[in-house]
Amino acid sequence: MKRIFVFFVLVLIISGVFMFASENKGEAQKITLLYWTFEDPTLTRLEERFIQEFQNKYPDVTIKRSTYPSGENIEQKVLIAFAVGEGPDIINLEMRASFPYVIYGRLAPIDPEAVGYKSQEEIYNDYLEGTLNVATHEGKLYGLPEQLGSYNLLLNKKYFREAGLDPEKDYPKTWEEMLEVAEKITIREGEIIMRRAFDFRYPQYLISWLPMVQQLGGSFLSKDASRCVINSEAGLRVMQYMAEWGPNGHNFGSPTYVNARKNFNKDDGSIAMCLTGLYQTARLKVENPAFYESREWMFVPYPRFADAVSDNGCNYYSHFFMVNAEKPDYNQKSAWRFIGYMTEHPEEYMAESALIQPRKSLMKSDVFNKYPYADLFIQEIAKSYPVIHHMNALKFEELMKEAIQSVMLTGVDPKEALQRLEQKANEVILGG
Amino acid sequence: MKYNSRRGSLGKYKAIGGWIFVAPALFYFALFSFYPIINAFYTSTLQKDILSLQPPKFIGLENYVYLFRSEDFWKSAEATAVFTLGCFIPLATVSLLLAVFIYSRSKPFQNFLQMAYFSPAILSTVAAAVVWLLVFDPRGLANQWVNFIANTPGIDHKWLALSHMVRFSTVIIYFWKYIGYFTIIYFAGLSNIPRTYYEAAKVDGASSWTQFWSITLPLVKPTIVLVSIIAMIQCMRTFSTQYLFTESGAATEPINVITLNIYRTAMRDRYIGRASAMSIVLFFIILIFSWLQLKVSKTEKISYI
Amino acid sequence: MNKIRMIQPTRKIGKKKQAYHGVGWRFSYPGNFLIWGILVVTMGLVLTPLAFMVVSSVMPYREVMRIPFRWIPTSFHWQNYWQAIRGNDGSFIYLRNILNSFFVASMVTLTTVFISAMAGYGLAKLPFRGRNLVFILIMATMMVPFEAIMIPLYLIVTKFGWQDSYIGLIIPLMVNAFGIFLMRQFLISFPDAVIDSARIEGASEFRIFWNIVLPNAIPAVVALGILTFRQQWDNLIWPLLITQSEEMKTIPLYIVRFNSEKYTNEGALMAVAMIASLPIIILFFSMARYFTGGLTISGMKD
Repeated sequence: MKRIFVFFVLVLIISGVFMFASENKGEAQKITLLYWTFEDPTLTRLEERFIQEFQNKYPDVTIKRSTYPSGENIEQKVLIAFAVGEGPDIINLEMRASFPYVIYGRLAPIDPEAVGYKSQEEIYNDYLEGTLNVATHEGKLYGLPEQLGSYNLLLNKKYFREAGLDPEKDYPKTWEEMLEVAEKITIREGEIIMRRAFDFRYPQYLISWLPMVQQLGGSFLSKDASRCVINSEAGLRVMQYMAEWGPNGHNFGSPTYVNARKNFNKDDGSIAMCLTGLYQTARLKVENPAFYESREWMFVPYPRFADAVSDNGCNYYSHFFMVNAEKPDYNQKSAWRFIGYMTEHPEEYMAESALIQPRKSLMKSDVFNKYPYADLFIQEIAKSYPVIHHMNALKFEELMKEAIQSVMLTGVDPKEALQRLEQKANEVILGG
Repeated sequence: MKYNSRRGSLGKYKAIGGWIFVAPALFYFALFSFYPIINAFYTSTLQKDILSLQPPKFIGLENYVYLFRSEDFWKSAEATAVFTLGCFIPLATVSLLLAVFIYSRSKPFQNFLQMAYFSPAILSTVAAAVVWLLVFDPRGLANQWVNFIANTPGIDHKWLALSHMVRFSTVIIYFWKYIGYFTIIYFAGLSNIPRTYYEAAKVDGASSWTQFWSITLPLVKPTIVLVSIIAMIQCMRTFSTQYLFTESGAATEPINVITLNIYRTAMRDRYIGRASAMSIVLFFIILIFSWLQLKVSKTEKISYI
Repeated sequence: MNKIRMIQPTRKIGKKKQAYHGVGWRFSYPGNFLIWGILVVTMGLVLTPLAFMVVSSVMPYREVMRIPFRWIPTSFHWQNYWQAIRGNDGSFIYLRNILNSFFVASMVTLTTVFISAMAGYGLAKLPFRGRNLVFILIMATMMVPFEAIMIPLYLIVTKFGWQDSYIGLIIPLMVNAFGIFLMRQFLISFPDAVIDSARIEGASEFRIFWNIVLPNAIPAVVALGILTFRQQWDNLIWPLLITQSEEMKTIPLYIVRFNSEKYTNEGALMAVAMIASLPIIILFFSMARYFTGGLTISGMKD
C-alpha cells in the first residue's frame, strides 16, 4: 500500500511542477532575438559591432549572440534545441546540416522587404549565379550566405625544391601527376612516412573526394536523387586510386596521420601540400608570420584527372543565415532585418575573417581583388558543384568514410567496397 | 537475515526512517531520471525524425525487429562486447592489486602513488585525446617505443588502422584513464577495515599473508562487487574515447560501440525512435549482466562479531 | 551514547608520527622490491602522457608535434600560459569559466555526496518493504546511457526555463546512482550492533546517521567526493546543451573552443589543460589525508 501511495505522490508532484512551468511567448514591445553561430574571435568582434549598430537603429530589439564550437557541437546543440521547440531565432549553419530543417518547414522563407530588397528576384540578381540554389526549396529562398567556401591545393615551395622540382612549373595539375610528384617528395623511415607530399582532407568526403568521381562523369546520386549510383566506372577508378595511395599501395598517406592542413602552417617538413580553404592563409599570417612573409607557399587549383569529362574543382560548401519559422511574426521580421544588415558588409567579412560572401558587389571591390588567391577560389567555384544536399547527406558521408577507409586501411577490394557503399546508401534512401 | 518490518515497532520505525532517507534521492530520480527513461521507452515504439513537426507514427516493436535484423547493430554489439570484456576485467583486477600494494606502503607514499595513478583522470578528455592521437600517430611515441623494444625500426603497427589494433588502442586509453578511479575506491574500501582487527590478529600471531586472506579479502568483498559491476557498466557505456577516435580518422567500424551508434543514429540520422530502441536494448543487456554478477557474488552481510 | 566512541586516527594525527606501514602487512625484502618495481613501472606508463602535457605546455607549438619528441624543452615558452588565460580573443573569459566549473562542480559534489550517503544508508541499514525494488530502480538509472535521456532531460529543463543558468547546470546532475551504490556498499559492513545500541540509547535516526555512521565512512565519502568533483569538472555535453552565453560556460567548453579549427596552438592548449588540472590536484592532496590507514573502534565490548 505504502509503495503505491508514495508512487502517486511522486506522480502528483511531477505533474504539479510541470503545470507551474511557465511558457514565455511574450508579445511584449521589446523583443530579444537569439542568434547562434560559430566560434571565431574575428567574427565575434565584427558581428558584435553590427549588433550594437543594429540595436541603436531598432531600440526595441535586443540581440543575444551565442557561439559554439563548429562542427558536431553546434549542429548537435541546434538539433536538440529545435527538437524540443526551443530553437533560436537566427542560426548560421552549413547547408549540409541545415537542409533537413528547410525540408521539415522549421525555417522561414525569406522576407525580401525586411532584408532590403523589393522582391526575391532582386536578391538572386545581387548574388553570383547559382550560389543561392542550395538554399532554395520549392521556389523559395531560405537564407542569405554567410560564407561560401571551397578547397584548393596549398603547397610549400621549399619541399618541392628539395626534391628537385620547380614549384611554379612542376606542381601537380592532374591526379596522375600527383602520383609522380608524391613519388619524388615522400620521405619514409621504413613504413612510417616522415614527409608526406600530399594527403587528402579525410573526414570531408562530400566536399573533397566526391568531385574526383564527378570529374570522371560519375556522381553519388541519380539525377532525381532517388537512388545511389556511385558504383560506376568513375567510382571504381577513384576508389582504386585511393587504394593505390594508401598504406596497401604506394603508401603516400593515410587517414591515421595528423591532418595535413594542421601541420602545414608549422612548416616542419612533414607535409608539402594540402587541400584547404582561403582562410588558412589568414591563419598562417598569425601562426607563422615568418613563413607567411617569405611567400614560400602558393595556392594552385584542385587537380583534375587527365581524361576528366567535367572540369570541376572541389565542391563548395555554404553557410547561410536562416530564421526560425516557429517564432512570432515580429521576431521573424526583425531577424530578417538583422540578417539584411549583416550581409550589407561583405567587404568587412572578407577583410576581417577571410570569408567570401558571393555578392556581386564584393567581386568588384578592392578588398576582394587585392586578396591573394581570392580570384582563384572564385574561378574554381564557378566551375564546380555545390556539396550535395539531401536529408541523409551526413549519413552518406559516413558510409563513404567507411568504404574508403576499408579500402585504404584494411585492404578491402575496391569493387566490393563500392558495391557495399551503394547498397547501404540505397537502403538509407529507402528509409532504412 | 531478513528483516520484517511488520514485526515490532522498532521495525516500523526503521522502515519509516528508511523511506525518509531514501526520499530525496527518489524524488530527484523521478523527475530527472525516471521520466526521461520512460520517455525513452515510449519513443522507442515510434518512428520519428527529430526535426519533423508531424506527429510520430506508432510502430510498436518494429524498431526492435529492425535492430535484430540489422548487421550494423550486431557489429556494434560485438564492438561493445569485445571492448567490455577486454577492459573491465583488467581494470577491476589490476586496480585491486595496485590498491593492495599501495596500502602496504607508508603514508606519504600512499598519497603520492594514488595521486599518480589518478592523474590521467585529471586530464580533460579533449586534451587527453590530443595527446593520445599524437602518441598513436604512425610517427608517434607508440610506434617509436614498440619498435625500440622489439627492435623493429620503421614498422608501423597501425594503431588506428587495423581492426584489432584500434580496439586495443581504445582499451589502452580507457584503462589508463580509469585505473586510478578504481584504485581509489578499492583503497577506500581497504581503509574502511578497522585496524583493530589487524592488531588483534597480529597479537594472535597471524602472519601478513593470513591477515590478508582472512581479514582483508572477505571484508573488501563488497567493494570488489562494487568495482566489478561499476567497471563493467562503465565499459559498456563507453562513448567519448571511441567518439574522439572516429572523429580524428581512426577506422570506424571496429569501434562503433552501441553508445556511439545510438548517438549517430539520433544526432546524424535523426531517427530518434531507433536510437531509443538501441538504448533500451543496451539497458537490458547491462541489466542482465549486472544481475548475473550480483547473483554470482551474492553479497552477504558481514558480521564482525 | 557516551560509551561508544569512534576514534579517527587521522584527525588527531598531527603530532604522532606514523610508525606503522598502512596495515600490519609487511613484506620480505624480495617481495618488497618486486612490489616497488611494479608500482614504479606502472606509474611510469601512466604518467607519460601527463608528462607530455606538462612538458609541452611550455613549448612553442612547433616543438610539441615534433617527431621525434624532445623531452627536454630547449627554452621555456611561458607565453603559452598567458595565451591560455587570455584566450584567442583576448577576453580572459577562461577565468570566469574556471570559476563556473568550480562552483558547479562543488555544488554538485556536495549535494551528491549528501544525498547519496543518506540514500545509501537507508538502503544498507534501514529495512523497509520495497527496499530491494528501490535499489534496483536506482541502479537501473545507471544503466541507461546519457545519450538516451539527454533530449527529454533538456526538454524538462527548458520548460522550467533553466537554460543558461547555474540552476540548469547543477540541478539535473545533482544526484547519481553510482554514488548511492558506492555508499551502500561501504555502509553495508558497518556493524549493526553499534547502530542498535545507539538506538536503544534513544538517539534519533538522523543523529545516528550524522554522528556515528558518517564519521566512520569518511574514506567512502571522500572517495565519492573526489570522483564526483572530477566527473563534473570534465563534463562537456550537458554544459554544451545548457549554456548560451560565454559567461556561463565551463572549462571543457573553453578547451574545445581553444582547440578549434582556426587556432591550433598545441603548446597553449596543453597550458590550458594544465591550468584546468590544477584544482583537481589541489583537491586531491588536501583530501587525501582522509584516506586513513584504518579506523579504530573502541569502547565496544563491555
